[in-house]
Order: sequence, then C-alpha cells, then structure tokens
Amino acid sequence: MSKGNGDGKVYVGNVDVAAKKARKLLLGKLKLGKLVDWGTAFSLWPVHLTTSCCGCEFAAAWSPRYDNEQHGALPWVGSRQTNMILIEGTVTRKMACALRVVWEQMPQPKFAIAMGACALDGGIFYNSYNIVRPWEVVPVDIYIPGCPPRPEAVARAIIELQRKIRREGLASKFVEEGWRPDKEYVKPKEDLCAWWKG
Amino acid sequence: MNIDELADMVRNLLAEYVVNVEIGKDLVHVEVKEENIIEAAKRMKEAGFDHVKDVTAIDYPKEGVIKIFYHLSSYSKKDLSRYIVGLGYSIPRDKNSVPSLYGVWTSADFQEREVYEGFGIVFEGHPDLRPLLLAPTVAELKPLRKDFIVKEEPIFKK
Repeated sequence: MSKGNGDGKVYVGNVDVAAKKARKLLLGKLKLGKLVDWGTAFSLWPVHLTTSCCGCEFAAAWSPRYDNEQHGALPWVGSRQTNMILIEGTVTRKMACALRVVWEQMPQPKFAIAMGACALDGGIFYNSYNIVRPWEVVPVDIYIPGCPPRPEAVARAIIELQRKIRREGLASKFVEEGWRPDKEYVKPKEDLCAWWKG
Repeated sequence: MNIDELADMVRNLLAEYVVNVEIGKDLVHVEVKEENIIEAAKRMKEAGFDHVKDVTAIDYPKEGVIKIFYHLSSYSKKDLSRYIVGLGYSIPRDKNSVPSLYGVWTSADFQEREVYEGFGIVFEGHPDLRPLLLAPTVAELKPLRKDFIVKEEPIFKK
C-alpha cells in the first residue's frame, strides 16, 4: 500500500498483485514465456560436483568428440552460477550433505539429472549401509540408466530435459508461480549434515 | 635375509610374548598376548620396523574373538623392507577397549580410526579418535562386524 504524498492524493494499490498481473500479461498474452523457456533450455549449466566414477563419463561428454557444449550446456565451477546438477553416480551419506548444500545454493529455476545405476536405485551398492538415493535428497527430472552411461546418453538426457522444459514450460511457470509446479519440494528425511560440526 | 630367518628373528625378538607364528609368502604373522602388545611394538620398532602399513581387525564370531593386526614394514632397513610382519593379538568380541599404538607408530593414526568406525573398537590413548570415512550414525552400527545384517532386497521392487 502506498500512502498519500501530501497534496491530497492517495494511491491505493498492491504492488504484489500488480506485479503478478504484469507477469501474467507478459508471459501469457505476449508469449514471452516461450522465450524464457527457450533461453533456459539452451543455457543449462551443470555444476561440477563429482560424487562418483560417472564423473569420467561426464568429463568425456564435454570432450571435443561428444561436444555437449553445442547444446548450450557448459560445466561451471560455482554452484551459484549454475542451474542444473548432474548427479554422477553413487551418493554416499557424507556426500549427500554436499549435494544438498550445492542444490540449495543454485538459483531457481533449477533441474537435476541422475546419472548411472547407482543414482537410480543404488546399483551394485543397493544394500550398502553408507549410500543414499539421490531422489531422497533432490527432486530429479531425468534418469540416465547405465553403469556407467555413455557420453551419448548424457547428451540425450540434456536434449530430453530441453524438450521437457520447452514442452511443459517449466522455466516460464517458475517465473509465473515462483516455484516449480510440476515438482514437489523434496525435504530429506534425516539431517544430512549432522555429522559435520564445522 | 629369507623369510625363515625373518621368522626366527621375530621369534627371538618377542621371545616370551609370542603366542603363534605363521609364515606366508613375504609375510610373517605373529600373534602376541593382548597385555604385552605395547612392549612388543616397542621391541619391533627398535629392531627397525619403523612404520605401520595397515591396521585391520578380523571378526571370528564362532570363536568369539576379534583379531587386530598391525602390518609393519621398514623404510630404513633395506633387508626388512622386502617383508611385511603382521603383529597382532586377539580380544574377546564383547570387549571394545584396547590400547592404541599411536604412541609407538604415528602412522597408525588414520588406520586405527578406520578400525574404530568399522568395528566399534575404542583405542585408548589415541589423540583424535572419531570416524574417518563414515558418518557417526553409520559408524554406530559397527558395519564391518559379521553380525551386522546387510539389507537384502531385490533391486526391482514388485
């Protein structure tokens, strides 16, 4: 609410409502949402968080032979400048803390791809006492099967995620609503960083 | 020096502490009594075994004992550096407090921490005894003991 400014006029209005209306106009009627989705789909920057051995394939996927940068994806060092996380294989109980911290540092809208059999349901470590399932830590969009997946499979997952973003309008829906309407907020059941007393 | 001479050397060195000696390929395993382990370790160090390569524990649930082994070798003496000597002792399974050999060999530091997190054996006198690789909640389960039951389930749930 904006109050009077002294010369008798009183402006009444809600800034939040006005902003929401403007957003709906821009993203809905003027189809700017498609531009947002297009832009997001071709700037999926994965963060460097190598949790396991699938990191080798991740590295190969950006080598000159499989050049994934042609899809607009560029591995970047800082989690605060990225919007995608590629979970590379097994996530141990201690690494789950790092994964969650990195995930929470990344700006919205953000996407997660789980890579390898271990990230699906444990793989060969399915009954280990020291791993967590990545989908218990972060909301995963795309799963890549394989042990390890080929670099082509990584490229396929990125293209599939681009299609999903543009088909379902994930990025523009985020701008409109303020959250990802298609994904529930994943909250880890236990305190993942309880072991770390820094 | 061949392996038999090494075994004799170790036998003479530890004399009254020795319980059992096993000879393998480039490896001599000596078992001593638990109460004599620190004196035995000091004698071994004076003889030239200057570092610990590995500390491990083996669980024998049927016999009800856990054997703790320190694998020793040498950097300073050339003829000893070819071999590994396992110096160990057995404790009852329900006992979980043993003397630390950190005071004798500093290189036992991290490896005693690994045995601590896997088997729940507390090394008395260790300066920094906390789990090394596992989270404390997992270490409480003592996952390397034989009676730790690993969850069995099919990968593909019905």
